[in-house]
Amino acid sequence: MSDIRTGYIEAFQKQRAKSREAARRAAIARFGELGLPTRRAENWRFTNLRPLEQRLFPPAPAGTVPAATLPPLYRLGVPSHRFVLVNGRFAPALSDMGDLPLGVSLRPLAESAPALAPALDAPFLRESNPFLALNAAFFEDGFDLSMTDVVAGEQPSPPPELDRPIEILHLAVAANPVSLHTRNRLCIPPGRRCTIVETFAGSGPYWTNAVLEIAIGDGAALRHIVLQDEGKEAVHLGHRRIRLGAGARYDGFTLALGSQLSRQDTIVTIEGERAECLLNGAYLLRGSQEATIATLIDHAAPGSATREVFKGVVADRAHGVFQGKIVVRQAAQKTDAHQLNKNLLLGRQAVVDTKPELEIYADDVKCSHGAAIGDLDENALFYLRARGLTAAEARRMLIDAFAGEAIDLVADGAARSYLRRHLERWLAAREE
Amino acid sequence: MLEITNLHARLADGREILKGVDLTVKAGEVHAIMGPNGSGKSTLAGVLAGRPGYEVTAGSVAYEGRDLLALAPDERAREGLFLAFQYPVEIPGVNNMYFLRAALNAVRRQRGEAELDAGQFLKAVRAKLKLLDIGEDLLQRPVNVGFSGGEKKRNEIFQMAMLEPKLAILDETDSGLDIDALRVVANGVNKLRSPERAAILITHYQRLLDYVVPDVVHVLSHGRIVRSGDKSLATELECRGYAFLDDAAAE
Repeated sequence: MSDIRTGYIEAFQKQRAKSREAARRAAIARFGELGLPTRRAENWRFTNLRPLEQRLFPPAPAGTVPAATLPPLYRLGVPSHRFVLVNGRFAPALSDMGDLPLGVSLRPLAESAPALAPALDAPFLRESNPFLALNAAFFEDGFDLSMTDVVAGEQPSPPPELDRPIEILHLAVAANPVSLHTRNRLCIPPGRRCTIVETFAGSGPYWTNAVLEIAIGDGAALRHIVLQDEGKEAVHLGHRRIRLGAGARYDGFTLALGSQLSRQDTIVTIEGERAECLLNGAYLLRGSQEATIATLIDHAAPGSATREVFKGVVADRAHGVFQGKIVVRQAAQKTDAHQLNKNLLLGRQAVVDTKPELEIYADDVKCSHGAAIGDLDENALFYLRARGLTAAEARRMLIDAFAGEAIDLVADGAARSYLRRHLERWLAAREE
Repeated sequence: MLEITNLHARLADGREILKGVDLTVKAGEVHAIMGPNGSGKSTLAGVLAGRPGYEVTAGSVAYEGRDLLALAPDERAREGLFLAFQYPVEIPGVNNMYFLRAALNAVRRQRGEAELDAGQFLKAVRAKLKLLDIGEDLLQRPVNVGFSGGEKKRNEIFQMAMLEPKLAILDETDSGLDIDALRVVANGVNKLRSPERAAILITHYQRLLDYVVPDVVHVLSHGRIVRSGDKSLATELECRGYAFLDDAAAE
């Protein structure tokens, strides 16, 4: 494992990135101190990182975007502003940003990074997450969405809701092992609303190490839908940090279907009063897939609400992990937070670890959490079969219903059908 | 159509429930099976439909000349056997229409008929609803979820009408129903009656038989059929209760 650590340090020495040099050096030094996490670290206890321990994924070479086409499978199917990254870099040929409304900026982070440099690195190096340090050392690009409150001068105020959803597609094409480190930013200023559909997909032996920072201003709202459908050999680490202002609303949904090993960390900090955090999702795993959903929702202000539901379907020899923590600080009175994790375990060798956690320091709160692991309902299976459906069709219908109920939590119609299509595709592939 | 010979069945815990049932149902006939609680009525229905949890220890069931017990539950259904459940199962997340269309198309494929597309299916649904005088409100909800007892039973009859089984087995579909719902159930069975089809009505009460006149009435007691007769047997049971069976057995 120390070879792997050295491998990334050596790869860093060879890289030619010129921007933010001091920050990058500090980041790789931090990675050198930390190394890869071990199972002794509580936060990484359940996640089997073997694919990252066994193989070095050198950063994708700088400045090149491999030729790629946009798979129709990953088109949302409604008019949108589309931003495509290939191997971690903006791919203008595949992107179609359309006419962005005045005051809305969607551009590659590579363009804005120099101006943002200090803000980009500071929070991550203080933490003991080596993947954040590696990201800080290697990232060169990503997407950067920002909006202004009102365009300067006599422009009329912008409408609160962005005219179309924003589609972000992270595509990977790898013949040899590469790592793709992107830094992405979303800033929704007070009073504005938008919908973002983010998809991760690709083929070959690659490692996605994506970091996304989201700031939602007072009274602003973001619907954020993520489809993780990475290639079979891929490793996916997605790290999201979300800050919510007063009366702000984050409505997030993740559907995890792909990659050999995946882990999605979502850290939400509720900084303002009366904010709302909806954090939902589903993971469907088969073969020997390994996936962790880790969430931390930190209620630091009073009167806010959290609704969190994650559903897992874990088949064959797959391993699913849900680690969900809700913290209610002393100041966060009148917090209303509920968390639920339900799993279907469909193979004798399939494993689920679920660890829901509440940490409450305020005394006037309504909080609950729950977890369940079970098999398909025998009575329901018999009922369906007694009407003529084969055992396989009946099982498929019940799995579809179980995961579909989670997807029904997605408020945006186009995004909901998009995820439904991918769920159906997963179920169809299962029958082979 | 159905020939049950010396059927013995027990539960997983080893309790023997059916102790030698003999029953022959011919095409075109409606049979009623009555009997006190615990006599084995629902076990008989469960064994015929292939419900897990029962073990047949002796005897045979021939359905249209085939060994029914060798067929999986879904094969039995596709071959035209239908069980109206005593306790229809709630299935969250599965839309009633979507489920029924999948079931109907599975049955149609088996019959060598073309599958129905969404439009054709909807047309067929509307026709049956009208025939049975059932409202459309149940259709867009998840299967049986939040349905009242009467709605669940109506849904069973509606499914039966759509699937047009050769042999329908109604397991106490009439219990707990008000008079309107009872009429819907009776109407469903009567509409299905034809020289090619048959039905077995398992019931606790004679009430349903006022609306569906059976060709034969059987009394099941302690896992065996102890009496068979025409409709007047049901009336006799209604007047005298099941206690007289024990007297008869003692004689």
